[in-house]
Amino acid sequence: MTLASISEKLSAGIPLSFDDGVALFREPDLLKLGGLANQMREQLHCDRTTFNRNLHINPTNLCVASCKLCSFSRRSPEQPGAYTLSLSQAWDKLRARTDSGDPVTEVHVVGGLNANLPFDYYVDLLEGLKRLQPALHIKAFSAVEIFHFHKLYRLDVREVLQRLLAAGLGSLPGGGAEIFAPRVRQRICPNKCNADEWLDVHRTAHQMGLRSNCTMLYGTIETIEERVDHLLRLRTLQDETRGFQAFIPLAFHPDNNALSHLPPPSAVDDLRVCAVSRLLLHNIPHIKAYWISLGIKTAQTAQWFGADDLDGTVQEEKIYHLAGSDAPQALTPAEIIRLIRAAGRTPVERDTLYNVVAQGEALPACALPAGARP
Amino acid sequence: MSQRLRLTAVSFLNARPITYGIERGMVGTERFDLRFAEPSRCAAAVAAGEADLGLMPIASYAASAEELRVVPGIAVASRGPVRTVVLVGQVPWEEMTDIALDGASRTSQMLLRLLTKESGLHPDFVEVPHDQIADAVVGTRGALIIGDLCLHIDGRFRHVYDLGEKWHSLVGLPFVYAVWAGRPGVVSNEDVALLQESLRLGLQRRAEIGRAWALDNDVDPAVGENYLLENIRHRLTSDEISGATAFLARSHQAGLLSKPMRVRLFDAPAPLQPQPRSTPSRDHLLTDAAAGERLSLDEAVRLYSEAPLFDLGQAADLRRQSLHPAGVVTYIIDRNINYTNACTTCCSFCNFHRAPGHPQAYTLSREELAQKLRETVELGGVQVLLQGGINPDLSLAYYEDLFRFMKANFPLAIHGLSPEEIRYLSQREDLPVRTVLERLVAAGLDSVPGGAAEILDDEIRRRISPNKCSADTWIDVMREAHGLGLRTTATMVFGFGESPRQLLGHLDRLRRLQDQTAGFTAFICWSFQAEGTRLPLTDDTGSLRYLRVLALARLYLDNFPNLQVSWVTMGPAVGQVALRFGGNDFGSAMIEENVVATAGTVFRISANDIERCVRGAGFIPRRRNMRYEFID
Repeated sequence: MTLASISEKLSAGIPLSFDDGVALFREPDLLKLGGLANQMREQLHCDRTTFNRNLHINPTNLCVASCKLCSFSRRSPEQPGAYTLSLSQAWDKLRARTDSGDPVTEVHVVGGLNANLPFDYYVDLLEGLKRLQPALHIKAFSAVEIFHFHKLYRLDVREVLQRLLAAGLGSLPGGGAEIFAPRVRQRICPNKCNADEWLDVHRTAHQMGLRSNCTMLYGTIETIEERVDHLLRLRTLQDETRGFQAFIPLAFHPDNNALSHLPPPSAVDDLRVCAVSRLLLHNIPHIKAYWISLGIKTAQTAQWFGADDLDGTVQEEKIYHLAGSDAPQALTPAEIIRLIRAAGRTPVERDTLYNVVAQGEALPACALPAGARP
Repeated sequence: MSQRLRLTAVSFLNARPITYGIERGMVGTERFDLRFAEPSRCAAAVAAGEADLGLMPIASYAASAEELRVVPGIAVASRGPVRTVVLVGQVPWEEMTDIALDGASRTSQMLLRLLTKESGLHPDFVEVPHDQIADAVVGTRGALIIGDLCLHIDGRFRHVYDLGEKWHSLVGLPFVYAVWAGRPGVVSNEDVALLQESLRLGLQRRAEIGRAWALDNDVDPAVGENYLLENIRHRLTSDEISGATAFLARSHQAGLLSKPMRVRLFDAPAPLQPQPRSTPSRDHLLTDAAAGERLSLDEAVRLYSEAPLFDLGQAADLRRQSLHPAGVVTYIIDRNINYTNACTTCCSFCNFHRAPGHPQAYTLSREELAQKLRETVELGGVQVLLQGGINPDLSLAYYEDLFRFMKANFPLAIHGLSPEEIRYLSQREDLPVRTVLERLVAAGLDSVPGGAAEILDDEIRRRISPNKCSADTWIDVMREAHGLGLRTTATMVFGFGESPRQLLGHLDRLRRLQDQTAGFTAFICWSFQAEGTRLPLTDDTGSLRYLRVLALARLYLDNFPNLQVSWVTMGPAVGQVALRFGGNDFGSAMIEENVVATAGTVFRISANDIERCVRGAGFIPRRRNMRYEFID
């Protein structure tokens, strides 16, 4: 499998095979790989990089799953740092943003698998957020949490989703996918739902008309083959449902967790995963360079290695920062715009569903061929 | 100079391309009188005043290097297998009890003794006449065989060690076998240009020279041709100078040379600027530059402004690969000691300096310095980078005392004082720059860091650092340092609103000086770090511009062997990616850094982290010293 033959397949629009994926991960010439991914990225999105204005709320860090990869969770309320937000504390986080004159268009809500909260807590949480800001988009609860609700409250996945939808749920985030291969899952997150269960939650959500994202956690103990297998399973579901909006590669950060002996991510690996995902996931429109995970400089570079989205302004990111991320806690829209421009791309604000948010000015025209200048 | 210059040269095949143009009467017929002699006679003739210039073995040169100057740009060298200097035996090297030596070659002998000693082996050495050497190999007795005899021994011995290859794998630098050398002042710029022209003509005819020699000596013509094309290199570039310097230093340490020596060159003529071609396509330019062809200033400005980042990166990566094919990325463990922050220069981009007398102004005491140096040694450091403010309280004698104290107490190389600090000492003491440098060298200075260059363009300098030396002065100090055999680095800080032409102009000045002196070992660039300084940031100093500048520097600086990535300012992640945009060195596991740290940049990583970063980027990490000699 040479890069040239892969390149031919790409120009002919033929989906890449498992072997192609493995070959791409093993390709020594990072810049050639990046060039291919960039070509596809520019065909899909010209020179635009999107971002949104969002806020993270992590309602609780109490979690029954005890995944080795996690620095965020606490097993019992007695452990130092364990918390569960009261509903008014959670709502206040949104209110503070609205009052500050720097409103968001999205909240991203994910948390631990808490065994002691009633389902109504979540329903009330969403309803309260919607009351504060009716036009707000709530992207909430990873498939792992939805599956946990299904188990804990003995409700069908579909019913869980229906009730949350009625309370204001707008879409699902893509977390908790980690690596689908049972070998890896067994070692790093044995108590999480398995691959089929994760994919089923998204399938159900897509069938109900919800959009969602998907992720892959790389840099723990997975092999290249397991990465490719993961990406192709996402691609297969996407062929079936077309419900995924964005794929987000997540670099493993080793501070303060049970896998601290592993090395932190390498920027070269970060760019490689970004590029290979772009090429393999031809049917998922967006590849997100999550700047919290990558760091700002690599996120800038990643916009030339397949990524076309930087996530949002984010505030109060906890999960990665507890694992040692040294990215800032939040960026202002002006900062995000500046760093996209400095990377040689055209910044475009979007909403959660990737509609362009018109800020009084027309969308900049596509300047293809892009690439002359970062 | 009306009198003809008397040249004496070794007659070996590997020196033939060097004398080719002169021998054939194609250059310098009026100027040179060329004779051939036995290797040892070449140096003796120069010593006895019978010849002005000798193409002499490095060992002969080493014996009196202090009195000699070397002609720039020309050498007999190898960067890997040399084929004609081999140790042979029926038992492995470690098991040889004695080794027969060919009395004719002092250089090969010295190399063998050095490599043997450094491997902790102690065989006896026995001199044997040249024609009996191959027969001397019996039992556990090995033999050092040199010259064309090596091309006839295929299959005769169970163990064959190519010493050129051995040296290269150990040190990571070329080995230099012979150079043109003579007393200071005997050659003019024009003579140097003629000698270089003779080599240029010889290099064009290498294959032919090799084949003709092979036919005369009953050897397969392909062997003669390959030998000159593949094994022997004839350019004395920065790397060869580093290799020769490493050989002299290691031989001194091993007790084979009585004094440590530096390689000092004759002045060289200013290089010719490449003729811009008739506007080749952008891709064409990149392909040529990736293959090592020289870019003109106009062409580089065009690439800077127009070329897609990936294309630039790929071209730079190819160029890096051909210069460093083993996939090695080097780094050094040293400590950056900023001995004083008192400074009268007041550059607007600097957040480190304090006016002399300011309550926060400091000069480190002996005790504080000693403490830092002790820690450096304990952490495996091999060098200190000593840089500070322009402090009017510190005299030349202060630095001489300081260096002597450091050298007497700590096994650390002193990489110290930027051109601006040296220029200031020359002004303060009213002494020529050369004298200041000579006194600092005598006190222990080993090499000069390339700081204070910022952008070598006086329009920019007047705006950001009006009290600092001009671009010409910076270049002149470096020229003097190189003339004394000091190796230096070169830096560039961008992001001051300079135009592409000003930025490339900086690289051009460095490239021109390097053509003349080959004294720079490495180039390092980074972007202006603005936090807390008086200079507002108005320019793009992001990572993608950094990668663009770095890639272009790799292509433009065709005579610089090494490009450091600047993880200190850009962060380790960008540092890793930069290894694919032309960088081949991860800089320093800095134990301390104060200047950019006070401007908001605080990346700190250990040697382990560096090795991890380098491996993570797909390269093999090796530890080096300032000469880029492997020391792990």
